[in-house]
Amino acid sequence: MTSSPVKLWRRQKDVASLIGEKGKILLWTIIRAPAKSFVDQAPYPVVIAKMQNGENMIGQLVDWQKEDLKVGREVICVLRRLHTEEKEGVIYYNIKFKPL
Amino acid sequence: MKISILGTATTKFGELWNVSPRALAKEAMLNALNASDLKPSQIDALFVGNMLSEILGNQANLGSLLVEELGVQVPAFRIEGACASGGLALHNAINSLIANQYKTVLVLGIEKMTDHGQEEIATALMAAGSDEERLAGATFPGVYALMAQAYMQKYKVTEEDLAAVSVKNHYHGSFNPKAQFQSPITVSDVMKSSKIADPLKLLDCSPISDGAAAVIISSGDSGVRKIKKPVYIIASEVATDTLSLHDRKSFTSLSSVVQAADKAYKKAGLKPRDIDVAEIHDCFSISEAIATEDLGFSKIGEGAKDIKKGKRTLFKGDIICNPSGGLKACGHPVGATGIKQIVEIVEQLRGEAGRRQAEGAKIGLTHNVGGSGAVAVIHILQR
Repeated sequence: MTSSPVKLWRRQKDVASLIGEKGKILLWTIIRAPAKSFVDQAPYPVVIAKMQNGENMIGQLVDWQKEDLKVGREVICVLRRLHTEEKEGVIYYNIKFKPL
Repeated sequence: MKISILGTATTKFGELWNVSPRALAKEAMLNALNASDLKPSQIDALFVGNMLSEILGNQANLGSLLVEELGVQVPAFRIEGACASGGLALHNAINSLIANQYKTVLVLGIEKMTDHGQEEIATALMAAGSDEERLAGATFPGVYALMAQAYMQKYKVTEEDLAAVSVKNHYHGSFNPKAQFQSPITVSDVMKSSKIADPLKLLDCSPISDGAAAVIISSGDSGVRKIKKPVYIIASEVATDTLSLHDRKSFTSLSSVVQAADKAYKKAGLKPRDIDVAEIHDCFSISEAIATEDLGFSKIGEGAKDIKKGKRTLFKGDIICNPSGGLKACGHPVGATGIKQIVEIVEQLRGEAGRRQAEGAKIGLTHNVGGSGAVAVIHILQR
């Protein structure tokens, strides 16, 4: 995944506006064969959540236990480091879900 | 619409480490030309379906690259639409004939994937998804796993039911000498295979493959004189949907497939039950279950159950699905798949499919999907 500083900067407003938003898990899976930049986090859940504004959102679930993986589980948007980039370059932060 | 299919060819599908992409493409193209009794100079244009060449190999400009292999200087185009690149290339080739711009064109699908590691391929394939999906750490098996969760919840379908799709396709693949996997598997083999994205396991997933396939088509009956068993394309339709799965109303049906299939059936004046044999885009077991419903072969919620009952299996089913072994057993070199599906249906309709012949097949359909259903291409063929 490219982390062009301009691209990151352009996304910042959207990312900030989502912090603290809540939703409920609609569907979940556990990614065990990830893309390259997520290898050191696998296995990790990815969920589609129905947010309070009625929209669906896809995101990685962090700080999870097995019992959190169920339909209807409440989640909240938190700001997290996306993945480990190279030693140089901008650190990429993004929204992830956390069980509430 | 009357588009004639002349010669067709596919290479062996599999892990072809000793073959370069150029050599792979050349083999498919020259074999299709030979089968058509044509020289490269008799082709008016080349259409190439490919997804990953510049992401994995830093090689774009495939049109020019591959006509160079043919030793001609005709117009050449590369078409990209994720895993539907092959079907889209054919659709564009057909349009060029309908527009009367060309008379006889070669359509090639090609992908060379096994030079690269699994993580690199997972990353490259996510180019077909959305920014939101990539940032969520999703993969294509992951996105289809979400659909599988939705489908299993809604219709009370089990992982064993879905495994029946892979079992059927490996059984079919065991009759196909070009298939990547030619050994049958059992439901228990699928259940015991390692998890990729819950509930999908390794044997629910199509493999990483190399391969190329080519067809030569011409407008009307021109060129058909030399072909003993003519086959015609009577419908070629495309529809699109959102890139992201989570933006859709349904997680258990692909609207792009429903729309493209509706248009194709109308164009051909046919109903789903008129189809004798179909090549389905079974990138995952769940994909074929949903596809057979979206195409109208099975009632909603009964696709997986009908597959398990044998309704899509050679020698006993009513509408035979994936006699080639499908993406699961024949292999899934992504850009080549849409063209390989056509090659398989042509062999079936000509009665030249050998041990995997669907008896008396007259009408065939191909179902080629890109992304998680962001693009669907349906072709209907008739002998």
